[in-house]
Amino acid sequence: MWPDRRLQDLFKTEFPIVLAPMAGAIDADLVIAVAEGGGLGSLPCAMLTVEKAREQINIIRQRVSAPINMNFACHKMIDPDPVREAKWRERLAPYYEELGLDPAAPIDAANRAPFDEAMCELVEELKPDIVSFFYGLPGPALLARVKAAGCVVMASATTVREAIWLEENGADIIIAQGAEAGGHRSMFLTDNITGQPGTFALVPQVVDAVKVPVIAAGGIADGRGIAAALALGAAGVQVGTAYLRCPESKVSAPARAALAHDDSTVITNVMTGRPARGVKNRVMREVGPILPDAPAFPHAATAFAPLKAAAEKLGKVDFTNLWAGQAVRLGREMPATELPRALAGAALARMSKLAG
Amino acid sequence: MPINTALTGLLGVKHPILLAPMDVVSGARLTSAVSNAGGFGILGGGYGDRGWLERETAKLKEVASAPVGIGFITWSLAKQPELLDVALSAQPRAIMLSFGDPRPFAPRIKDARALLICQVQDEDMAREALDAGADILVAQGTEAGGHGAARTTLDIVPAIVDLAAGRVPVVAAGGIADGRGLAAMMMLGASGVLLGTRFYASQEADGAEEAKTRICAAKSGSTTRGIIFDMSRNNVWPAPFNGRCLINDHARRWMGREIELLQNMKSVAVEYAAARTAGNFDVAAVIAGEAVGLIHDIPKAAEIVDRLVTEADQIMLGRRNSATALRA
Repeated sequence: MWPDRRLQDLFKTEFPIVLAPMAGAIDADLVIAVAEGGGLGSLPCAMLTVEKAREQINIIRQRVSAPINMNFACHKMIDPDPVREAKWRERLAPYYEELGLDPAAPIDAANRAPFDEAMCELVEELKPDIVSFFYGLPGPALLARVKAAGCVVMASATTVREAIWLEENGADIIIAQGAEAGGHRSMFLTDNITGQPGTFALVPQVVDAVKVPVIAAGGIADGRGIAAALALGAAGVQVGTAYLRCPESKVSAPARAALAHDDSTVITNVMTGRPARGVKNRVMREVGPILPDAPAFPHAATAFAPLKAAAEKLGKVDFTNLWAGQAVRLGREMPATELPRALAGAALARMSKLAG
Repeated sequence: MPINTALTGLLGVKHPILLAPMDVVSGARLTSAVSNAGGFGILGGGYGDRGWLERETAKLKEVASAPVGIGFITWSLAKQPELLDVALSAQPRAIMLSFGDPRPFAPRIKDARALLICQVQDEDMAREALDAGADILVAQGTEAGGHGAARTTLDIVPAIVDLAAGRVPVVAAGGIADGRGLAAMMMLGASGVLLGTRFYASQEADGAEEAKTRICAAKSGSTTRGIIFDMSRNNVWPAPFNGRCLINDHARRWMGREIELLQNMKSVAVEYAAARTAGNFDVAAVIAGEAVGLIHDIPKAAEIVDRLVTEADQIMLGRRNSATALRA
């Protein structure tokens, strides 16, 4: 028995298990698989155009009638600083030379746009059951329109202060993201990377501070972790890393191999300009993992696009984001359609065993 | 209903709750209070002060009516290994060794028929401890107050549980302060928990009252892990260990400026030592973990043990929804 059914009631899913919206690793296939498996599928839209996002949602809806979560970022876009960008390109120039690329060739800017008018119109058109936000929330006018479209709003907090802010500003569900989490940390009221509490210290403190349901995120990838998160007061969990090696994920073959063989992760800012956790790639080892003068998010990522493409052709992940949480060693290769049920079953078994 | 685990059986205690051997703070008073309440108190032998150890172990004989343990900082004990004999002569149920190679000390501990508890922060340390013959492993996450390393409790506890594979019980440490934490760690496969900060804010702890008050007042996110305080007292630990404590004026002054601190270490050390003597906690560190935001009062240690067990038991039995019921 689930100790808390608030999420299942809100989501109309079988399990209180949310697929973490991992931009770059997820498209319609993984969302469909998780939805079919009884979890909440999440489509990361921060790197998609409006057209692409609509297309993906349409594909999902043709296949499943389950509720969907569309995820967006709410960062403030900072214009690229030409001096910093030039220094950055210079820093990376040896890698360009090594791969026979022209460091001066123009590159398309990294495509990580914040939630805006156009995306809001798409939400109003598609009316997903759930919309989740990263880096805070959109402005009150846009948020009001999302809510008027009937969407349940989730948002991620990395501290108690952020959780309280999100609740006060209209979030219906708080995702408490601990330091273990892979990928970008949702910090928006602080930039102190070392201050982010671990998931298990953060969750009960957020639960005590807000009235809305809390979802635990970060380092949870098996039944034990889920049962533990629920004991701490979470109404459910968000799981990402566990799905990275499922056949339905978009992670490339060389990146999968890296994720399968390396079980230590670090937080870096060099790949995009914002702190994110992943398995160490070559550039994190040689340039990072933390570099105070890396270009601001998302501009640091721009210069990596040609490097990544060229290196991956050679089967190398030197410049590939290997985003993964501390639970990377718990990643599975099983079909994502089966994973939510396996996770839920293991969690329920653990809880009933301890109940005697 | 008592929570029986491999740990309670091995230690011969009622509750799977261990007191962290906090240097200075976990004296005979707190150690016996935790043990007498059915948990397992571990005296904070710390860096090794012979006079203190003799005095506190003598006091334990008078006040402890249940088994106790004695803890040491391993690399510091290595400098005066004879202190282990002082500890063993008090006939503790267990010796707890943290931060360093336990192997040189294990034979004497075993000969004295005490159990060996080893605190570890990664798999290599756990293997070393098992080689040494550890009877109990404490897996400590970075959320913990005081010295520790980088990996979180949620990461390290199941990893060490898997590594121990049932050979020895695993105790979870770091970020636990209430029954929800105890229940969660049982779900992760731990056989018990070890708590520091929660017991620091107890009536029997030997810490300064001002420090206890600061722990109660501290909100979530008000701790930091680093080497500022170790540098300030001229006591930088071997890698990979650093320390977590409350963020105070001194921490705010030096966070991110560690190199400058290194260059000014002499004058800072004088200033810092004076603040410690004066009990000025704007400068001197209050050692505390990330669960500090869950601590709001200074009860008796027995009440802390009782609350933990009652809450955890109800959560595990499914009689209590931890999301809503514990706030009262």
